[in-house]
Amino acid sequence: MVYWILLQKSFMRNMQYKVAHLINNAASAIFGFVFIAIWVGVLQGKENESPYSALDMTYYISAVQCILWVSGFLTAGLNIQNGVRNGAISLELVRPTNFFLYVTSQEAGRLLYNFFFRSVPIGLVFALTVGFYLPQHPATYIYICISIFLAVIISVNLHYLVGISACWTTEIAWAHFVNFTLLVGLGGQLVPIDLLPSPLSALTPYLPFAGAIYYPVMVFLEKASNEVIFIQLFWAVGLTLINMWLTEKARHKLEIQGG
Amino acid sequence: MSLYLKLISGSLRSRMQYKMNFLVSSISYGLIMAVDFVLLAAILQRFNDVKGWNLYEVGLLYGISSVAITLYRVFGVEIHNFERYMVEGDFDSLLIRPVSPLSLLLTKNLDLSRIGGTIQGILILAISIFGLNLKNFELFLLVLYLPISIISGVAICFSLGLLTATIAFWTQRIKDFQTFTLYAPFNAANYPMNIYPSWLKLIFFTVIPVGFMNYTPILFLLDKGGSLWNLALPPAVATIFLFLALRFWQFGIRHYHSTGS
Repeated sequence: MVYWILLQKSFMRNMQYKVAHLINNAASAIFGFVFIAIWVGVLQGKENESPYSALDMTYYISAVQCILWVSGFLTAGLNIQNGVRNGAISLELVRPTNFFLYVTSQEAGRLLYNFFFRSVPIGLVFALTVGFYLPQHPATYIYICISIFLAVIISVNLHYLVGISACWTTEIAWAHFVNFTLLVGLGGQLVPIDLLPSPLSALTPYLPFAGAIYYPVMVFLEKASNEVIFIQLFWAVGLTLINMWLTEKARHKLEIQGG
Repeated sequence: MSLYLKLISGSLRSRMQYKMNFLVSSISYGLIMAVDFVLLAAILQRFNDVKGWNLYEVGLLYGISSVAITLYRVFGVEIHNFERYMVEGDFDSLLIRPVSPLSLLLTKNLDLSRIGGTIQGILILAISIFGLNLKNFELFLLVLYLPISIISGVAICFSLGLLTATIAFWTQRIKDFQTFTLYAPFNAANYPMNIYPSWLKLIFFTVIPVGFMNYTPILFLLDKGGSLWNLALPPAVATIFLFLALRFWQFGIRHYHSTGS
């Protein structure tokens, strides 16, 4: 199938930059060490006031640094904006392939690569230094696969949304900035969202950003009930439908302009 | 100097042709950096301090470090994006001009969208100084010293940027190195150095000396330890480091081989 081939090709293309990515992994691990140090420093002598111990937070940050590479650090706008700027989008949209799948399958290939050459090595670094939690119940491994899969779909869709908005705005740099900030800020990259101040901590569990980072990490650490997967499922389906609808709108807009 | 001002003002005028884009991008860049700090505030509001440093004290470190790196990003944009010259082979054209390549690179462009981050850093500094409630003399000393700390920080950041750019003479691409030599260390320098394990501290006080720009002087200025030497170290380290970076850059240029195409 054409989308599977696109996914494979994108995977292979990323393989060309293995060495550079390994250096970058070291930096990513250092970011992790810094965040862990903050939490260990903050919780020192205050662990009884917190729902998380210093060790919990070490595991939390380690897992976050790994998952960020599959559901956090995606290509800005999935590069849709480039096609809008140079006009190539008009061709891409009239191809007999589904544009949404055409774009997302390429990103999926990159993320699959990231999993093997970024998440796994970074996880190993943490495992050898500060420790890395592994789920104790066999069933968790099934749930975590589903949860990560949904997290990827949510994040890819959020980035697609930013990208396809280029059909109306051309410039997406700021939209990507806002999206990324919300993703890491409200997704629980540094602070588990249940520790956020009160109005935020009540709202963020129901936003898609939590589904991209916080929930898969909590499922992995066996600290959340597996029902959170339904919240993820809701956003994964919802955002996909919105994006397909927007893609149709974009195609329509294009036909009018191109006529 | 007059040539520098002329070149810079030219770059400024070209940027101002796209006012809206400039405004939106600087605001969003400032916003991102602010969110980071808001999250930190959320943690410290709940848990009071991180190893003896409260929010306003960390805010001082955070402010200095963000102002330093964003000023570098404004003025050193061509150094930061130096790999372009290697990958696209544009460096040759810089070598045949009557001005040194480094001066050309520094005057070629300004990335004003990063100013948003500088303003946000200054705001955090102002809020922190206000929140600290210092006595007159301490306050006076701190405010007097802040510019020295920031200038030292910019010099250290610029040196790190230049060292990384020089690597491009051999490796062509440097983006992945920058995460290691600039982003990660400056992120670490937002927080007090005493929270880090000793091997990380060793790195931040030797090969990537970001600890000197803010932690060393603030330690003394907030009466947390150290001596008057803590105030002399930042400019001294920055000067030595800048000198080494410039030497390495010269060394890199001598070993530069054009693509020959």
